[in-house]
Amino acid sequence: MFGTQPQQAPSILPSNAVTVLGVTTPVDRFILTGLVIAVALALGALYRWTRFGLATRAASENEQAALLAGLSPNSVSLANTLLSALIAGLLGVLAAPIVQVDSVTLPLQVVPALAAALFAGFTSLWIACSAGILIGVMQSVVYYLSTQSWFPTDNGNAMPGLQQLLIFILMIIALYVKGAGLPRRGEVVEQRLPAVPLPDRLLRPAVLATAAAALALIVLPFDFRQALTNSLIGAIIVLSYVVITGYVGQISVMQLALSGTAGFVLSHLATGLHIPFPFNVLGATLLATLLGVAAGISALRVHGVSLAVVTLAAALAMEQALFTNTSFGGTAGVTVPPPRLFGVNLGPGAAFRGLDGNEPSPLFGFLVLSVAAALGLYVANLRRTGLGRRMLAVRSNERAAAAAGVNVRGVKIAAFAISSFIASAAGTLYGYNFGSVSAVRFTALAALGLIGFAYIGGITMVSGAVIAGLMSTEALIPHALDKWFGIKGSWALLFAGVSLIVTLIANPDGIAGANHRRKKAKQAARAAKAAQTRAENATPDTAGAETAPTPAEVAR
Amino acid sequence: MSMFKVRSLGVSYGGVHALSDVNLDVAEGQLVGLIGPNGAGKTTFVDAVSGLVGARGRVELDGEDLTGMPAHARARRGLARTFQSSELFEDLTVTENLRVTAEQPTWVRAFGETFGRRTPPPSAVADALTTLGLQDFADASPAELSQGQRKLVGVARALAARPRIICLDEPAAGLDTTESAELGRRLRAVADAGTALLLIDHDMGLVMGICDHLVVLEFGKVIALGPPSRVRDDLAVITAYLGASAVQPADAPVPDGGTPSSLTTGRPGVPSSAPETA
Ligand SMILES: Nc1ncnc2c1ncn2[C@@H]1O[C@H](COP(=O)(O)OP(=O)(O)O)[C@@H](O)[C@H]1O
Ligand SMILES: [Mg+2]
Repeated sequence: MFGTQPQQAPSILPSNAVTVLGVTTPVDRFILTGLVIAVALALGALYRWTRFGLATRAASENEQAALLAGLSPNSVSLANTLLSALIAGLLGVLAAPIVQVDSVTLPLQVVPALAAALFAGFTSLWIACSAGILIGVMQSVVYYLSTQSWFPTDNGNAMPGLQQLLIFILMIIALYVKGAGLPRRGEVVEQRLPAVPLPDRLLRPAVLATAAAALALIVLPFDFRQALTNSLIGAIIVLSYVVITGYVGQISVMQLALSGTAGFVLSHLATGLHIPFPFNVLGATLLATLLGVAAGISALRVHGVSLAVVTLAAALAMEQALFTNTSFGGTAGVTVPPPRLFGVNLGPGAAFRGLDGNEPSPLFGFLVLSVAAALGLYVANLRRTGLGRRMLAVRSNERAAAAAGVNVRGVKIAAFAISSFIASAAGTLYGYNFGSVSAVRFTALAALGLIGFAYIGGITMVSGAVIAGLMSTEALIPHALDKWFGIKGSWALLFAGVSLIVTLIANPDGIAGANHRRKKAKQAARAAKAAQTRAENATPDTAGAETAPTPAEVAR
Repeated sequence: MSMFKVRSLGVSYGGVHALSDVNLDVAEGQLVGLIGPNGAGKTTFVDAVSGLVGARGRVELDGEDLTGMPAHARARRGLARTFQSSELFEDLTVTENLRVTAEQPTWVRAFGETFGRRTPPPSAVADALTTLGLQDFADASPAELSQGQRKLVGVARALAARPRIICLDEPAAGLDTTESAELGRRLRAVADAGTALLLIDHDMGLVMGICDHLVVLEFGKVIALGPPSRVRDDLAVITAYLGASAVQPADAPVPDGGTPSSLTTGRPGVPSSAPETA
């Protein structure tokens, strides 16, 4: 309908130019800057002096108190959403001739804006407005510098990604100055993550699922085999979200970028340095893990939404500075030679071809499957160990965790390390899967999509990661929809977007969580019934307290 | 020789001096009560000694200087605390809540454990649950508990660390009179077993009944201290605190971090023995 091609936007503001201090500048730039300041002034006045503004500030300070005072936080929130949409739309229309309008760059223009909002702590219009303008100016300065002859170049073009890197660094500085190690007393950390059920048994479901997938890899036709392999790799990446977001409550957008980094590094290690198979994967994974830990450490003082914004900036910085840099990555892609162990090809082109004799080889599927099964088991088991409990303690309440002797920073770093390791491992498999790595697969936008799938599947459970993997791009579900019903991937994505919203509202635990709850309820009902029959058969005092479920369990 | 020593502790929020120049000593196995009207700075005191809020002054435990240590390091050295509003780990069961404090392995050990099978809880968990009478709720989730039970779980969680001292921030708020008396007996037993306790509470019956020593805080300053019988007779206390709370005997629990709690001081006190009758 609209397309991804840049659209020529008609200019609404006057397009003549003026000369100031010897520099010719189009008038619309000044008008736009003035408009932004005017809007900020108007908003400031609105929130400061009107009853609506008072209501908004009251509601954002303390929803319960606002409710008691007879204000409805919901309608206040709705009004503010409408207002922000209106302003965003207005500025979007006015700024269209200056910035490119296409479906890829526009969402990412949001990041500099979010950086400004971070500076202001999401509350001060004045700081947000001036920080926004300053960031814009600094970006333009970097752009100007990049046209100078001394500027470092990459293949004849100016070095890419410096603007994004600058924004990331600015954010880190701002947060270091402003952020606190632990939330202060009474500081409400918004927490809307679903529960993390304790898995009772791991081995049986793991073995069953692995066996089923292994069988499917042999008998399925080649295209479904490929889709299943894609699903497994997607599931592994989502596992990294289960650890960092599901268990520790830190929303990190940069995991997919780490996958990409690992893929590119693998290509360099394998083709450039000729390091053989398991070692090149290990090296690439560890290197990307280190990068993830470093980025994680620099964001330790950030919580909640701010962390999502910082990691989005980190993802963009990696995307622009590493992936589009032709000496490291490049949109054209770099090749990854197939993995060989003792001379045996384990890649998609391996000799063993499954029932229909086509590529990809089930052998590569098995490789991916064994990695997925091992990591899945590890993540599920993690929930039952001490480190897992400390992760959940941090997720629930950082202050109480610290007072309980939990090293909150240490736990977060451990989580970033584990999560980054998983995402990086997935990145190397990605490289083998396609025989190449290209920037387009690891964009921040794709990462946001994947997080959406993770939420739909159930971001706190391994089974949720599997479901998310099955739904991800080019995985089994979209492939089946395309093949059998002719529903194209982009429609599936739209459907996913809608179901994400439904998930967030109606079923925040995701598909896997809902499933788990049903199972628990059934178990409780069974246990209650058994206890009842026991109580009827046995003498009252031998129908012991230890076998009867507590009322609490039944209620669940 | 006191085991827990606080010297000239001071905290300011912006320009407000929430605590100034507070000294406090607790000996091994001693049960010290810290009382004062809402907003006196009792919670701030606990936040400061446990490292959750920056403070001036010096905090010492067993002769070791804790000043400048992060909260988790203080906790690992034996300084435990509870919170006025429980602050349980909502995503963990009661047993798991206690295991977080009871297990403090090194990093190498903790990482190694992630590759192993699940382990049974250490004995400190069952001991703490028994001490607080919470055995039946071991597998419950915090959301299923009543306000009073959540408070008890908070105490059990602190106890499971086998600490040297526990600072209890209003553990009896939300309990009825019998439950409160029951808690008092349990706390007395904990102290007699050697763990020092610093008890903050508005239930004068509880505080007067079990404490060895009282410290009275008002406007961030210590205004009286001594054995309960003497503090009770202290005129300053009667006007500042007991008189005021005699007017409003049932202290509604004030959630942490809310608006400044209504200062019940400054009102002409009606000296009364009502609070001590429990
Ligand atoms: N985060 C904070 N920011 C500013 N003032 C605070 C904060 N926390 C507490 N205070 C103030 O510090 C004083 C002491 O509070 P608090 O320690 O909660 O008293 P208590 O626990 O004795 O009721 C009160 O005046 C309170 O308003
Ligand atoms: Mg308090």
